[in-house]
Amino acid sequence: MTKYVNHALKVEPTPEEAARQTFMSSMRMYVLHDLANGMRTVYESEVEPKFERKNKRAPKDGVEVHRALKKDPTFKFYSSMRCNAQEMVFRSILPTVERSQDALNKKAKALSRSKKANGTVETDPKFKVPRSVSAIDVHRMPGNYDTEYAPDDVTQGAVYDNGISVFSMGFFGKNLDDIGSSISMFIQNKYPKFAPERILDMGCTIGHNTVPWAKAYPKAEVHAIDVGAPVVRYGHARAQAAGVPVHFHQQNAEATDFEDESFDLIFSSMFLHEVPKKGIKKVFKEARRLLKPGGLMLHMELPPNKMLGAYDSFYLDWDSYYNKEPFYKPFRDMDPQAVCADAGFAKNKFVQYIIPSLGQYGEKAVKDSVKKQTGKADDQTGRFAAGIHWYCFGAWK
Amino acid sequence: MSTAGADKKPLRYSVRGKDTRFFSAEGVDELVAISMALAQELWVVKERLAAYEGLAAKKKVFTAKEIENFKFTPAQRAKLDAESQAFIDRVFFTLRERVEGLAADPDEPAPPKEP
Repeated sequence: MTKYVNHALKVEPTPEEAARQTFMSSMRMYVLHDLANGMRTVYESEVEPKFERKNKRAPKDGVEVHRALKKDPTFKFYSSMRCNAQEMVFRSILPTVERSQDALNKKAKALSRSKKANGTVETDPKFKVPRSVSAIDVHRMPGNYDTEYAPDDVTQGAVYDNGISVFSMGFFGKNLDDIGSSISMFIQNKYPKFAPERILDMGCTIGHNTVPWAKAYPKAEVHAIDVGAPVVRYGHARAQAAGVPVHFHQQNAEATDFEDESFDLIFSSMFLHEVPKKGIKKVFKEARRLLKPGGLMLHMELPPNKMLGAYDSFYLDWDSYYNKEPFYKPFRDMDPQAVCADAGFAKNKFVQYIIPSLGQYGEKAVKDSVKKQTGKADDQTGRFAAGIHWYCFGAWK
Repeated sequence: MSTAGADKKPLRYSVRGKDTRFFSAEGVDELVAISMALAQELWVVKERLAAYEGLAAKKKVFTAKEIENFKFTPAQRAKLDAESQAFIDRVFFTLRERVEGLAADPDEPAPPKEP
């Protein structure tokens, strides 16, 4: 596990900046572990019994839990400190990135042109970034994925890479690739005869979860798209530095310019919950258009509310209300199987998996999970803490 | 705040949009933010002191440059990370106390009624 970026685009914090960053990883651990567990104890000991006395029943969903808990000081301190911690994570890395901005842009350009790998990158100066990205600082990241401070700028890619490294407390693994590594290993073992020739990662940001798919299927041609020009430029340089060929494009997953039936595998990670409901439906239809018959669409995401109990639904939906993730709850309220069916995928071709984190549980646990799928989420599924399991769903075409 | 020179477009440090508030009493949200920033800065000082102590133990004498270049060993780093968790727990002890207070003895003698 690493807390800091360690590849060719790494930036060097001063000792004081590094101490602020280290502190923020510890602070987030305190908020998400100690305060979160304390809030649950207060809920179960005081808030839920009070609700039951008044209503003669338990809260039926996350909204009722939220309503009952929001007046409690424990909820207020948890929420206030979590919001502050989120912003402080990014503020802790911004001075380091800002000081390194010119050098980063030069290094990224050199890596993009290098022959370390044969990947490519395309950005479009006339591209219209959707308002769901251009009008908000998603998860309180100043500048989001699209702000450009200079020509051919990669700054926001570095902000995301370094910010998420501090934010994730090591749970995203070395190179922030645990999601892609865990799920690609699972798919290889679940479907040993599946050999995709062309792979597409939708909403790839800096390609940290694209690279594991290119490594898992080295003969495949791998493409990755995102609406943010700085993140695809940075992602390309990052993949080149790792010696992994990936073709990055500034494109919107709702309507790409790829040909019909041109991909065998379409993947996304932590993407759909940042897309408005109408957009998600378009993304699924687009994925179906792009998939070859027999191809697989697979999205790693937070588990849907229908899989979770009332408290866990409240806990995960917190981000939608308070963490500048407005599309998070509408997405989690959707029925994954119904969304796939609406896009034209056959109901009996629907798949969903809960996969142990490769970094935390090891290869054997990931491989063993192929035969241990119950279809039921537990309180480790999608919850950002020790022992995390990744949820993914999709459909075969 | 920005570290950019006068000729450069500074990076934006603030988050766009109306901020979320949780406490009805005026100023409490700001006090939480200020407390957290203070805790962070205090941790910076503690790390710096640890660096001084690490060097002092190693060399008996040191220069500012030596301090600036000092790197913790993996063992020292792991110890500091563990200590930062304990440090956070001390600073925000009042929040844990409420949770642990739920286990209080119901027969605990009550204090005199306030006048």
